[in-house]
Amino acid sequence: MSARDAEARAMLVLRIDDDSDIPVVLVRLGAFLATQGIEASEGARIATATVELATNIVKYAKRGIIRVRALQLGSLRGIEVEAEDKGPGIADVNLALTDSYSTSGSLGLGLPGVRRLMDDFDIRSTVGSGTTVRVRRWMS
Amino acid sequence: MESMTPALLMQRHEILEADLVLVRELGSHIEPRLSEYVDHLYAWMRQLPEYDEYFLDPRRAERVQRAQVDYWRELFRGVIDEAFVARRRATGEMHARIGLSLPTYFAAVDMSLTILVDRVLPETALGERKAAALRALTKIVHIDTAIVVHAYNRLTSEKLAGQARALLELSTPVTALWEDILLLPVIGIIDSRRAHDIMRSVLQRIAETRAKVFIMDISGVSVVDTAVANHLIKITKAMRLMGCECLLSGVSPAVAQTVIELGIDISAVNSRATMRDALEEGFRRVGMEVKRIGQ
Repeated sequence: MSARDAEARAMLVLRIDDDSDIPVVLVRLGAFLATQGIEASEGARIATATVELATNIVKYAKRGIIRVRALQLGSLRGIEVEAEDKGPGIADVNLALTDSYSTSGSLGLGLPGVRRLMDDFDIRSTVGSGTTVRVRRWMS
Repeated sequence: MESMTPALLMQRHEILEADLVLVRELGSHIEPRLSEYVDHLYAWMRQLPEYDEYFLDPRRAERVQRAQVDYWRELFRGVIDEAFVARRRATGEMHARIGLSLPTYFAAVDMSLTILVDRVLPETALGERKAAALRALTKIVHIDTAIVVHAYNRLTSEKLAGQARALLELSTPVTALWEDILLLPVIGIIDSRRAHDIMRSVLQRIAETRAKVFIMDISGVSVVDTAVANHLIKITKAMRLMGCECLLSGVSPAVAQTVIELGIDISAVNSRATMRDALEEGFRRVGMEVKRIGQ
């Protein structure tokens, strides 16, 4: 199935400037997912992944933007979360996707964890110009 | 929030030296007649519903009128520097503090321009350069507006941050459930700041009460990401160092599943599904049990 064919039905844009925005992300995302009729356990999964991405933005790039889209692909409903920053970028993406690898002294489970929580995972990063992570979760 | 420097403002609003010269010339015609402007403006302001609320005290009205005259004098000096920006910011903050709404503020600015241009400025002043001069004047007034909106914004965000802090302080109600047993129901969102607050107040209560069991109920927490889990693990370990066992309760199926998929090692955390289970375990650890009476 090609996710590119999915049609975006609604979108939420969240600006991240510092860690005080993370609770705001949770509150606004929760409201958005509720209006999209996403059930609570799926919502918790998507919110957890989104917070991981937001935390990464604050930790490594300081600021960035998160776009959440409600997708429709045939009978499937999906939520796409795209986290974009203009930070330092990731030198070795494969290493960053390895469990317990961290350059910041944290648990090092953020990105690999997000990959496990969601169905589609796509990362583009260029050293010196930034990182975009796009993930999707599909529901019937 | 971005800083509003004179250079940035001039560049954004495309204000050139020629504009400033025109504004000064405009000022030379208007300044001698500013008292007429004040009369017209107050005739208009008096019919606003807010007027009586702000100007009950006539001395206040006089003070504000003088400030308005000074405001236009300064604007017609045609100098946009740090001092100008600072004074405009102070004015914006003052209006925000007294609770004047932005729509009313803008209406007053707009009415001021109408009065100055249509009633105060002599019709023949500046000849054919009049249109350019008025354009220059609106640019500077718009700079002023940008500074004022920025000041309103900043005050609003400060207020919101203050409210958020107040909520955080309300949100770590550690309760003595029984001798040696403390309870903290955690509700809502845990960010790093709140986690630090929880850690601090929890350890302090353990020190005060010498409690042996601490039940932390997270049934009111919908999202446990790696950062939150990390905080919970640290809090648990710190409690253990103080001789107090932490029992985590209220882990929902969704939270349990995401924590496992994230791959977090929770072996350091002693967890129970419900608060009841945690309480039973707590009683057992302090050498008590709950019995039905009369049997």
